[in-house]
Amino acid sequence: MTGQPVENAPIKTVVVPCSGIGKTYGTVTREAAYIVVEELAPETTRIVPLSLLVLGDEDAQAAVRGVPVITLDGCKLACATVNVGEAGGHVAREFTVLDCYRRNKQCKPQGIAELNEGGLALARALAEEVMQAAGELMEADGS
Amino acid sequence: MPSLPQRKVGIVACSGEEMAEGTVTRLAALKVLEDLRPAETVTICLPLFLAGGEGDRAFAKFYPTIAVDGCEKRCAARATELYSNKPAASLLVDDIIAARGLARPQGMRRLSADAAPLIDALADEIAAEVDRLMDARWSRSEGVVLEAEADAKPAVNSAACACGSGVPVTTVEIDGRAIQIMALEPIMEMAYAQKPGFFGETGFREPPAQLMNTVRLYNTIPDDQEAVYAEAVQTAWQAYCAEKESTRG
Repeated sequence: MTGQPVENAPIKTVVVPCSGIGKTYGTVTREAAYIVVEELAPETTRIVPLSLLVLGDEDAQAAVRGVPVITLDGCKLACATVNVGEAGGHVAREFTVLDCYRRNKQCKPQGIAELNEGGLALARALAEEVMQAAGELMEADGS
Repeated sequence: MPSLPQRKVGIVACSGEEMAEGTVTRLAALKVLEDLRPAETVTICLPLFLAGGEGDRAFAKFYPTIAVDGCEKRCAARATELYSNKPAASLLVDDIIAARGLARPQGMRRLSADAAPLIDALADEIAAEVDRLMDARWSRSEGVVLEAEADAKPAVNSAACACGSGVPVTTVEIDGRAIQIMALEPIMEMAYAQKPGFFGETGFREPPAQLMNTVRLYNTIPDDQEAVYAEAVQTAWQAYCAEKESTRG
């Protein structure tokens, strides 16, 4: 899966974006998740695709059990949070793009297939919030 | 008079984040939605099926869907069938690659430049399926394309009453029988506008009890026809909600 750990560096946190396809906020969650697992913490985080969880894929369900999961949702329906819960995962922290946007009003996101500069900046802000949360979770876990 | 439900085709892309092919499905679906067939298509959010997206489930029950998958696990096709109805068409990125001799895409967050022809080819295939489905008759109960009939009529159809009063009459096909209900469209419009308080937790699957009560005010329903009318109202309600949710985006 995306962001597989390097040898001897076990995954500490799973990140699950909402996968929303029709709205800008969904794209922001996806971009933020990629920033976390590809740039900021490739050794200790990974994405689990929501589509696999929806389908009940055993590997995906196992991946969200036993480790803290951080969910990123684009709207109030909270698909990522709901689906991780349905799969038996422990949602340690949940983020919504709207809340992040309220904290970063200068980053106005636009675009769906491709985000504008504001959207990319918002995704990065969200990714940094995720990183802070992941750090707190690891600290609490004594890792 | 309220506008009639417009037929559309739903596109369900797997959007899998762990592989380049998932990103290809997402971008191809968006190209169809935004550029190639914007008036005929809606996207359906796959995770919403499980998260309680009654509108998305209802839409996929009543309208044809095209599942677009990035790998053999076929999450989009299987989840659509599991939670709603069998997709009218199912496309796989691997099949497009093989059929057209295209390069396998690389990257996830940023696809490699040589993925563009694959996205275009997949989008073209989706658009072709949209055209086919828009021209075909679709069985809402069976989830299949029906053979063409010269006198084919939609299962739910509204028109002004022949008496000249201007009150719309909705005709619903139930087991081959046409049930006509006066003023159903404006009644459903009122019910939908008053959601969610009007029907609480029942969502879109069941029409609110008040809906049937209001229908009785405008229609005389024989005691032995109560169940048939209830089924007709439910069918019309689900179609109405599916259409509303699809235009909501």
